[in-house]
Amino acid sequence: MSAAGSVMPRVSAILRSRPFLTVAVVAAVWIVAGVTMRGFGAFGHLRYLVELAAVIGLVAAGQTFVVVAGGIDLSVAAIVTVSAVALPLLSLPGDPTGMSAVLATLALSTAIGLANGLGVAFLRVHPMIMTLAMATFLQGLLILIAGGTAISLDNPLVTWLGNARPAGIPVGILLWLAISAAVLVVMHATAFGARIFALGANPLAAALSGVPVNATTIAVYGISGFTAGLAGVLVLGMNGQGYVGIGDPYLLASIAAVVLGGTSILGGLGTYAGTMPGALLLVTITALITVVNASPGWRSILFGSLILGLLLLSGRESARR
Amino acid sequence: MSATTDTEGGRTIPLYWPVQANRNAGLGGLFVVVLLFAIAYGVLFPGLFTLSGFSKFTQSWFPLALVAMAQALLMLTGGISLAIGATVSLGAVIAATTMSGPLGVAGGSVVVALAGLGFGAATGLIVVKLRLPAIVVTLAGSFIVGGAALLILPRPGGAVPGWLSDLLAGNTPTAFVLLLAVALLWKLYLATPLGLGLYAAGDNPVGAYRSGVPVDAARIAAYAISGLLSTGAGLFVAAQTGSGDPVIGTAFTLNSIAAAVLGGIGFLGGQGTMRGAIAGSLLLSLMISVMFFLGFTPVAQYVAQGLIIIGAVALPQLRRLKR
Repeated sequence: MSAAGSVMPRVSAILRSRPFLTVAVVAAVWIVAGVTMRGFGAFGHLRYLVELAAVIGLVAAGQTFVVVAGGIDLSVAAIVTVSAVALPLLSLPGDPTGMSAVLATLALSTAIGLANGLGVAFLRVHPMIMTLAMATFLQGLLILIAGGTAISLDNPLVTWLGNARPAGIPVGILLWLAISAAVLVVMHATAFGARIFALGANPLAAALSGVPVNATTIAVYGISGFTAGLAGVLVLGMNGQGYVGIGDPYLLASIAAVVLGGTSILGGLGTYAGTMPGALLLVTITALITVVNASPGWRSILFGSLILGLLLLSGRESARR
Repeated sequence: MSATTDTEGGRTIPLYWPVQANRNAGLGGLFVVVLLFAIAYGVLFPGLFTLSGFSKFTQSWFPLALVAMAQALLMLTGGISLAIGATVSLGAVIAATTMSGPLGVAGGSVVVALAGLGFGAATGLIVVKLRLPAIVVTLAGSFIVGGAALLILPRPGGAVPGWLSDLLAGNTPTAFVLLLAVALLWKLYLATPLGLGLYAAGDNPVGAYRSGVPVDAARIAAYAISGLLSTGAGLFVAAQTGSGDPVIGTAFTLNSIAAAVLGGIGFLGGQGTMRGAIAGSLLLSLMISVMFFLGFTPVAQYVAQGLIIIGAVALPQLRRLKR
């Protein structure tokens, strides 16, 4: 009796939660598209979709941290590009595995994220301005490094990361699952995670309650830089070459995935468990639009309209600010 | 909040200037920096003081000033738009496809204005009535508007009548006169009930609502006017280049936010003044011109622009912290 009484409300709470809603939408779209469209439901196609979602999911992992903490990171696309372009250049000749280049790239992208955090925390620059200015800055840097040319990849580790399929599952997906598990634990089962939510809900109250506001802020932007860098490495591995603009699609995608997953853009509320199906949903929408075979203009209109429609389902701000 | 709040017993005139001075407070530093950049620009490019040099500079500044106003208007109500750039593009392609056709310049301008007002009002309705976050709605909106621009003109082309290009972007300071006219219209708008409600809606929406301010209407009107200013900027850009380009406005999204924030407009609504936003856009445009004349490479321009924006935003904040 008591067991049933405590289980039932919990089940119904899960059924009504935003992450579950997003999963349900993805499942419904997959089933309908799988039945009505040839080839959509094939294992290879779905696996490809998840592989694409992994890149968005990685970028959106850091974005979720930042948004929950009450900020926003508009430099993720630039960081993805920087890491994809810089990695081939950072390779040491004496390292056959390519490990050192990957580590150097991740250190670089994390440093960029930390610099964002320092600006937001100590210079008190609004996150949107700080990260936009950082994106502008990086854009200049990229032209300096790469110019207009594509830089091809010669790194065994990154090639493996982008192409290997142990037991039929791409490494990218496994990497995404591992990072996701870590993100969920950090967000919902550590003191640091609790501080992020406190900071996003009410920075003043958080500071007065002893949350190290500056350190936490710097850390979330550092995490965002790290996951964007990781996504850059993965996308480089999948593409085989890095070029200026390779990361551009991931800015909108990361924010849309976060919001579609039910995380409040105002901060303090949300979970990465929603962002993950959010990323899948975005990739699925894009795939469906490609199938429709419309002109670029119509595709863009469809994409925007679908995101707007999905927002109505999941992104409502519950109360007037 | 406004110059017209106290008009009892004909005391409007004595009150007007103190209110204006109060609005200038906090912008002193910005005005000094703008002046320094203007002097630097004048030294580097003495042609600035001829009529055609002045005209050319104001023409490069004008569209940025319009989008800065469009963005500032929304930020004052507590909103924001990431669709400004796409809307500028939409205005440009509509101008380039309609004006040389049967509609003519007058008809084309009407279509451009209606498109801006219509898209802006639709965005405003969605944000305000459906209570969706503005940043995400306008991000999705930028895809819809950008797609519409691509449908109208898939690749750069179209044409704007030559006399219009000469009038707006020739050797006469038409753009500067237009900017003064827009600024004057803004002052008039602030005196209307919707204009008065603008600051109140951004500063304290609930309080404003309870005091009888038409909060929703003021915010929707702000989105509509913002759309109008953006497509207007697009029309001007089309006249400048003589043709339309479906992606020409992209950079304006970022620059409009940068100009508004440089001008002291706050993200939370209700803070800042339109004169600040216009000064911010002037600073940004002077900065780009000065760097161009100093022979900065595009790389150095990006890097310097990023650093200057951060510096300009951070310095007042740091000063406030010390106090």
